[in-house]
Amino acid sequence: MSPAAVELDGIWKRFPGVIANAGASLTVRPGTVHAVLGENGAGKTTLMNCLAGVYLPDDGAIRIDGQEVRFSSPADALAAGIGMVHQEFRLVPTFTVAENVVLGAAPSILDMAAINREVAALAERFGFDADPERPVWQLSMGERQRVEILKALWRDARVLILDEPTAVLTPQEAVELGAVLRRMVEEDRAVIFISHKLDEVTSFCDEATVLRGGSTVAASIAIADVDAGQLAELMVGSSSAVKSLAPRVGVAGDVMLDVRKLTVTDSRGLTAVDALSLEVRSGEIVGIAGVAGNGQRALTDAIAGLETATSGSVTINGSDVTKAGTRERVDSGLAYIPEDRLGVGLAPKLPVTHNAVMRSYRTMRQGPLLSWDRAKAFCSDLISRFEVKVGRFDDPMASLSGGNLQRLLLGRELSGNPVVVVASQPTRGLDVAGVGAIQHLLVKQRDEGTGVLMISEDLDELLALADRILVMSEGRIVGEFDPRQASRAEIGEAMIGAHA
Amino acid sequence: MILAELTITETAVIGLFVATIQFATLLFLAGLGETISERAGVLNLGVEGMMAIGAVFGFIGGVESGSPWVGLLVGTIAGGAIALLHATAAVALGADQVVSGLALTMLGLGLADFIGDDYTSDPRRALFAEVDIPGLSDIRIVGDVLFSASPVTYMAIVLGVIAWFVLNRTSIGLGLRAVGQSASTADAAGHSVVGMRMGAVVVGGALAGMSGAYLSTFVVGAWSVGVTAGRGWIAVALVIFGAWRPGRVAAGALLFGFTLALQSRLQPFGVNFSPILVSMLPYLLTVGVLVVISIRARNQPSPSPAGLGIPYRREER
Amino acid sequence: MRRLVLTRRESPTRGGQPIAFLFGLAFALIGGAILLTISGDPVFDVYERMWERSFGSLDTISATFNRAVPLALAGLAVSIAATMGLWNIGAEGQILFGATAATFVGRIFPDLPGPILIIAMLLAAALGGALWALGPGLARAEIGVSEIITTLMLNEVAIRLIVYLQTTKWKDPDGFGFPQITARPEQARLGIIWERAHLGVLIALALIAAFGWFMNRSVWGYELKIAGSSPKTATYAGISMRRKVVGVMALSGAVAGFAGGIELGGSAVRLSENISNGFGFAGIIVAALALMRPSGVAVVALAFSALQVGGLSIQTLGVSSAVSTILQALILFGAIGAAVLSTYQIRLVDRKVTT
Repeated sequence: MSPAAVELDGIWKRFPGVIANAGASLTVRPGTVHAVLGENGAGKTTLMNCLAGVYLPDDGAIRIDGQEVRFSSPADALAAGIGMVHQEFRLVPTFTVAENVVLGAAPSILDMAAINREVAALAERFGFDADPERPVWQLSMGERQRVEILKALWRDARVLILDEPTAVLTPQEAVELGAVLRRMVEEDRAVIFISHKLDEVTSFCDEATVLRGGSTVAASIAIADVDAGQLAELMVGSSSAVKSLAPRVGVAGDVMLDVRKLTVTDSRGLTAVDALSLEVRSGEIVGIAGVAGNGQRALTDAIAGLETATSGSVTINGSDVTKAGTRERVDSGLAYIPEDRLGVGLAPKLPVTHNAVMRSYRTMRQGPLLSWDRAKAFCSDLISRFEVKVGRFDDPMASLSGGNLQRLLLGRELSGNPVVVVASQPTRGLDVAGVGAIQHLLVKQRDEGTGVLMISEDLDELLALADRILVMSEGRIVGEFDPRQASRAEIGEAMIGAHA
Repeated sequence: MILAELTITETAVIGLFVATIQFATLLFLAGLGETISERAGVLNLGVEGMMAIGAVFGFIGGVESGSPWVGLLVGTIAGGAIALLHATAAVALGADQVVSGLALTMLGLGLADFIGDDYTSDPRRALFAEVDIPGLSDIRIVGDVLFSASPVTYMAIVLGVIAWFVLNRTSIGLGLRAVGQSASTADAAGHSVVGMRMGAVVVGGALAGMSGAYLSTFVVGAWSVGVTAGRGWIAVALVIFGAWRPGRVAAGALLFGFTLALQSRLQPFGVNFSPILVSMLPYLLTVGVLVVISIRARNQPSPSPAGLGIPYRREER
Repeated sequence: MRRLVLTRRESPTRGGQPIAFLFGLAFALIGGAILLTISGDPVFDVYERMWERSFGSLDTISATFNRAVPLALAGLAVSIAATMGLWNIGAEGQILFGATAATFVGRIFPDLPGPILIIAMLLAAALGGALWALGPGLARAEIGVSEIITTLMLNEVAIRLIVYLQTTKWKDPDGFGFPQITARPEQARLGIIWERAHLGVLIALALIAAFGWFMNRSVWGYELKIAGSSPKTATYAGISMRRKVVGVMALSGAVAGFAGGIELGGSAVRLSENISNGFGFAGIIVAALALMRPSGVAVVALAFSALQVGGLSIQTLGVSSAVSTILQALILFGAIGAAVLSTYQIRLVDRKVTT
């Protein structure tokens, strides 16, 4: 039997505070599309980065065609025939398609006409439609992804790693990608396909390896032998019954947040939120489920005033704030926990006090001066009420742990007695205690009559907390579920439904 | 050419355009060097200092050896050598490019003054002679302006073509441009970001040094304190005016060279306009171009290298 | 194959910057000594003379203080802009235009009593500097034009504006045809407070202290810190980035322009293109060495001033005063090296590829 194209054996990779891979293994045969499955945080991307030379594994062996290798840079891995298409593309926007494709692997004298022809021929061989002379900045995300794949093919990569490739694709483009991958394996190359979308895996892939908690739980299972349900069970572990964490005490009241036909166009000119409407009433938690990158961030940013709405309206507690700035929205009763806590919600290099008063400092004026006595009093009150563990008030915010950062941020936002809380991925990356504390605070807020809009990629969390679950896909709400009646599978289908 | 055949106005016109070509050569060499450095993503505000170093070493090399060619070579090497300091500080060590570049200007001006102290009133000269292009230099007026210039001017044209070719038609140039646009992309594609950038800064310094040496072996023909007279800053402006492209930089050099030439040659034309106001033009035009570029950048990528001024360090692991 | 890599230390060495500065100073003095030795100059005599003439006596110390004023104010101007991550490379031009505005006031009110005229001229200087920086500030805030280049270009414009005035409208009628601007009114001279030190020393110290205090105590300073830390966070907190950018550039320009007014009332008798003498550029290096902290700016400015004053004195020994410029630049390069060593450690890493 011919040796495996790729063999990862007992890979360990630790980062400060996190073990991303704990002895993960993977064997990929040439001529197959091999899925690497797992939930967010299962260690898929880290494992692939070890293979692609981005990270040096702490322990374990990498074998290519039976030979043990050690890569110190992506260039080394490329030279050994391993190409990786990252979720964030590595392209030069001002260069043409052809220039990007040949970068780093071009003949010393460039005959652009000849190169353009060769790139076009290469694209055609694999069934791409690519104009080699177009600058990359004019391309859609799907087209850019093809340039990335062409880059690997130009270097004659024997192994191509694709990290969640369909996240940026339209359904049509995803089908086309599948066809391209088939052609590649026909040439006896190997494709590693990282995903958590089961429908794609079952339609594109030959074999699958499932990771959970940084280790391999199922290696090289033939797709033909399993169904999506079995794969899902392997990914999430034994499906323990999800029970509601805190059943609603009261009945939902007045509409606190009213989003009407909201459309948001992102910086690339693409429609991120597409005529979306939703309501959040006082005393309810509305959960938004969906695969990352389906417009969730643009939606919450537009509600908070960080992103401008192209059309539609946002009403908070009866007042139309569509045109208002962030400050007016907060004054109308909005609290916002952004997805990017350190980059948007906090100033990591500044002291804890500065961060604590970010919403309320205007009430601490003494003429042109800021009363630091009042600021410190406010900060210490916040810290004790929300049980934030802080060294000194003057310590930079970044010195706090993730859970404490989020507690301070949430506490600060809740201290203004909001009527509606928009919380985007509020528990992501926190430890168990942190997750519990944040969830508890949100439920408590709901029970006190606040409306909560919660965006989470963790479906279990939404099933446990939400009173209603809306599923978002491609900028639209595609379904609404009652978490007490809907099954995980039903909601999951709706999440990926639009992509199938 | 026999001057008596020409009218006074014709002589003045020739003088104006001959000076334009001289200044344009000077600005183009330094501007081309800065273009190469900035295309790799490194802003070098040390041009004025590197030029001064080139001027003093060009003069010393010239008069001590008796050959302006030796002077030009020595000045070029000296410019590249002092640029290595900026390359080390701003590229290898990741210091702020603005601060390091300005310190390089200070150091270059100071060193040039110090080294040139004994040569300030040196009566010796090592000057380039004009080279007449056979046949063409006899053309009335045009011949005097275009085909009877110093060999450095012809060399600058050749260097410009080479630079254009390397930037746009070789894999090294493609890598260099990628390094300036997106260092992480170039790194992932296997190009050495630090190596490329340091190389570009040193080549840029060598060209600025050559420009300075040309000043002291031809345009002014001597060394004196302050001989660069702020022309290094015009070269920095020129790169922006020329949208970081060698061809446009050359065109800009002619325009800016013309404004420099005009300053001392307005009177013969009976123009009653202050030459000093003319001398503001390159800077104001550059600001204008920069504003236009920024407005346009809303709909299309700016011609400015996207990674300009940003130190690169591969993510640590 | 082995290669050297820089790795960031978990936390930068404490008190690193003063040490880096001292290291830079030592680096510069050694570099200067090598240079002087090569050219056959007496190293110790030169350094002794520089010390004598900058810190050797009360008289020279006071002169050093005077020279430190424009350096410190230019450094302060640069560090004000840096609070928002902006580079004001135009302090030189703002100093010049500030001095021009002050001269203008002196020309239209030549007969005002001294104290009133001085105040009016200083205010005009600050306003002039602010105006000179306002354009780049607006261009940056509204259309995103790099303030580095615009402020740099305006330096050269300011120089030429003064040369223009020198030869035309403001040419001194008593200058025997020499192109110079008429002297400022005699009564518009800053008072002497100690030995040769003029009032500007106190004013500069007060400004530096006031800015430090205002940054830490005021609502504006708080908002500035948030805005400087991240534009997204500022927008989230409801702080207008545009207004902050324009305001900070204008304030930075005002401080630099003010320095021009002080030079005109203190060390100079008339406006000329040399009134700034590179203070704007040196100020950038001063601010960088001080890590943009106002208190540090004062200390570094004093050291640079001593080098400059000392440098002028060594010409009588037959040594070029350019030594001073070289030393100032070398301090910065030395400090860059030292700062890198304090934040990073250099390791040898194996680079093996087996395929």
